[in-house]
Amino acid sequence: MMGKRANFVIVAFVLVLAPLFVSTALGQVQTRLRIIEASNVGSGIDPALKDIRNQLGSPLNFTSYKLLRDESLSLALNRPQKIQVHETVSLEITLTKQQKEKAVYQIRIFRKGSEILDTKARLSPGRTLIVGGPEHRQGNIIFAISARF
Amino acid sequence: MKESCSSISRLLEKYFDRETTGDEGILVQDHLRQCAACQAQLKSMEELRATLRAPVDEAVQKETFAWVWQKIEREIQDRAKPSWRESIRAWFGLSFPFRRRVWIPAVAAALLIVAIGSPLFFKETPSQTELSIVEYVQSDTNNVMVFESERENVAIIWLFEGAEGDPFS
Repeated sequence: MMGKRANFVIVAFVLVLAPLFVSTALGQVQTRLRIIEASNVGSGIDPALKDIRNQLGSPLNFTSYKLLRDESLSLALNRPQKIQVHETVSLEITLTKQQKEKAVYQIRIFRKGSEILDTKARLSPGRTLIVGGPEHRQGNIIFAISARF
Repeated sequence: MKESCSSISRLLEKYFDRETTGDEGILVQDHLRQCAACQAQLKSMEELRATLRAPVDEAVQKETFAWVWQKIEREIQDRAKPSWRESIRAWFGLSFPFRRRVWIPAVAAALLIVAIGSPLFFKETPSQTELSIVEYVQSDTNNVMVFESERENVAIIWLFEGAEGDPFS
């Protein structure tokens, strides 16, 4: 009688806790991708970029930062998403690992279909990764990537 | 032979207290039949006893001895109060070591709670490599620069394309 009760308690524990682990394993990571044009034509930082103003303006010496696109991506594990930035440049972002408060991304940049950059970075809540460099008009493209848990 | 009052009066108190021997008792009784003074003395002794005894008996009958019962009850409670071990035994119903069926799920539950709760109490200290958020960078066609500053919370990967100048200030 008591053995049955004990088994019931253990099974109940597992059933209650299992969904927590499953949701973590199968969850998606909301990822914000901002595409920015940085140049020395004009001056000022787009108001939509005020949260990363210091991250852009302190190490980089451009005078103007303009937000071109603001994408909210729902990334599942190992499911790459490709974003066409303009005619010749595209970006592929893949969530390769997800931990409790950490997400690992693989980011690949292509020009005219050829890979020009491949990187892997680990992001925690509140941190933004800046990937920049591809030429665009009179300036350069910058990708600001941040994860939302 | 008639005994004098003075010799009887010594025995009268013993007689009153019923402490005389058989002969002494007969002697006193014979004297009392003839002596009104000694009868009066015996009577006054009986009245005195009655006077003293009445309030004592009344007080004894009225007294409930509440404090005695309180003390007894307290004693019973102190003796009846079980130790923590006995309380646990009582809670489980039987002697503790024999309740292994209770032990197993209890220990399993405790371990599970510790396993789940420990990360909340023991915060991990990130290693130097964990502070760096860029794991690797690779480009076959261009130069790449990585700028990371934990203090400024900045991580920048810069791909040098074409002949533009240094973008870093």
